Amino acid sequence: MSFKSPFAPSTSKPGQGSIVVALLPPNTPVLRNVEYQYPLKLVAPNPLPSPVSPPVPEHAAEQGARGPTTPSLIHTVFLLTYGGGIVAGDSIDLNISLESRTRLVLLTQGSTKIFKTPNPSIVSRQHMTVKLAVDSALVYLPDPVQPFAQTAFSQSQIYNLEDGQGSLCACDWVTSGRSARGENWDIYEYRSRNEVWALSPDFDGNSKKKLLLRDNLILDKTGQTNMALSERMDGHSVFGTLIIRGPMFADLQKFFLGEFEALPRIGGRNWGDQVQMELNRGEQWRIDRQQREKSDGLVWSAANVRGFVLVKFASREVEGSRNWLRDMVREEGSLVRGFGERSILCLK
Amino acid sequence: MSANNDNPQSLKDEIAELERRLQDAKSRLGHSVSITAQATPPSDAALHALLLLSDSALPLGSFAFSSGLESYLAHHKHSPPSASQLPSFHTFLRLSLSTLASTALPYVLEAYRNPGGIETLDNDFDASTPCTVARRASIAQGRALLAVWDRSFRAQHSNARTQAGISSGINRAQGDSAIEALASFSTSLRTSGDINAHLAPLWGLITRVLSVPLHDSAYLFLFSHARTVISAAVRASVMGPYQAQAVLASGELQNRIRTLVEEGWDKRVEDAGQSVPVMDLWVGRHEKLYSRIFNS
Repeated sequence: MSFKSPFAPSTSKPGQGSIVVALLPPNTPVLRNVEYQYPLKLVAPNPLPSPVSPPVPEHAAEQGARGPTTPSLIHTVFLLTYGGGIVAGDSIDLNISLESRTRLVLLTQGSTKIFKTPNPSIVSRQHMTVKLAVDSALVYLPDPVQPFAQTAFSQSQIYNLEDGQGSLCACDWVTSGRSARGENWDIYEYRSRNEVWALSPDFDGNSKKKLLLRDNLILDKTGQTNMALSERMDGHSVFGTLIIRGPMFADLQKFFLGEFEALPRIGGRNWGDQVQMELNRGEQWRIDRQQREKSDGLVWSAANVRGFVLVKFASREVEGSRNWLRDMVREEGSLVRGFGERSILCLK
Repeated sequence: MSANNDNPQSLKDEIAELERRLQDAKSRLGHSVSITAQATPPSDAALHALLLLSDSALPLGSFAFSSGLESYLAHHKHSPPSASQLPSFHTFLRLSLSTLASTALPYVLEAYRNPGGIETLDNDFDASTPCTVARRASIAQGRALLAVWDRSFRAQHSNARTQAGISSGINRAQGDSAIEALASFSTSLRTSGDINAHLAPLWGLITRVLSVPLHDSAYLFLFSHARTVISAAVRASVMGPYQAQAVLASGELQNRIRTLVEEGWDKRVEDAGQSVPVMDLWVGRHEKLYSRIFNS
């Protein structure tokens, strides 16, 4: 006769985790649930009081989306792994849910290292699903993923927006490995998928899904290019995508589009016939930043598609991208005003 | 006559002559039988459709697009301006084909295999195209292809179908579902704002309607892209027209396209994605060029 445990069997599986941000009326968001299992670790420091109310975009104010009901606290959760990285075969599955009128900042502590796999067919995985209710907002500005040589890694970030609403500012970036050790995209395989879905209930009460955005990066040996991955990367050692959507980030969207529009034309020349105007501070900042872009070998583009602003960037060194991103977000300012200085911790 | 009959030599000659003619007639019969066996109407129609679609004018308006080549060359200005751009062109062609095969080819295959899903495929492809320049190019060419179908191919196609009669019931039913999907897609393009008409899924659907074999359809899709890029290179003064034809005819290109089709054959649309991330930057930054001769 086998011994029967008096306790309910554990339902948690390795690598699983969940975060639920709920709203305590009238306007206090609480972390109702933070669960995690080895090798995933979640750390939630004390929430910070909401900084001064972010500038309410006009159309959002009209809808009465916010105002006196602005959440009073900003919660932050650090996504960590034991050992600071992901070992071959690890599988992480994180579920996050944001209720209406809550905000969450997700961060990491240092780049997510992907450790060597003994066999290319052993792929480590990290999967994250985020459900955003109407009027909730997520900032996810992690450090870049750093896959070491001979690694195979696949991650996916799926954002489900209730009624296609909700605000999202998420960055996904990856580096060439340990450049100090001469690693230069010497990986077996790297995949990163970002998807944004709109969930809307149909007449039967089932939810209908519509794909709003899919950004899928696949780095592997296929493609018939006869070129090593490092050659395909054209001398860049970091690639990133920044996804911006929703009323909370309307100003940030506008800023990126505006700066892209203001980039000097490629192949244009200065014929010296333009009158040098007195520059204001913002214009001076722009010129300085463009100089830094040039010296860092940073190229970027911004596109306004389907309600998103999608920013793509790449640079010669990781720090070039990090500095650029911080520079842009800081100069615009609404992110720091709405979510606090901590939200851009990983860009420092 | 009797003299002829009596002469054994002339008899032998006559027999030899008759045998030769019999042989000849037999061989002619065999030849014509084998030709008619190949020239069954459907494969003929498929070949005809394939030739129509491989017209260098198609996809209509593709001459206006360089698929990022122009921007790529601007990002790779060599120090001596006289240096040949040919090596970098070859690199670009490879990267561009690889990108197309990993991002668009799965949609061609899926739309061909599952015509009813065309609207979802169109939406998902749109959601997966991250930059305005590439979207613009894909939509312009998709709509042009749809227009060619509507105005030029459709009439002939429906004639041929009525003539074909009820000989092949199952095939007809399958073809009909594709035609219905295409017709309803074409209607919703005019009535609903959600439809974009991207090239890749439409290419799959229209080649299906025209009964082009799937493999040929996929091959031609990649080939047309290569031809568009190579033709853009000629107009961007990267190479001359003879050189361009040589690249197009090369066994290397042939091999590459064939292997790309093989690689992508079973890839699901959900797994379509960018394999050359810097391509998005080149294409996206085309808008920032000081001088442009192309639309993408």
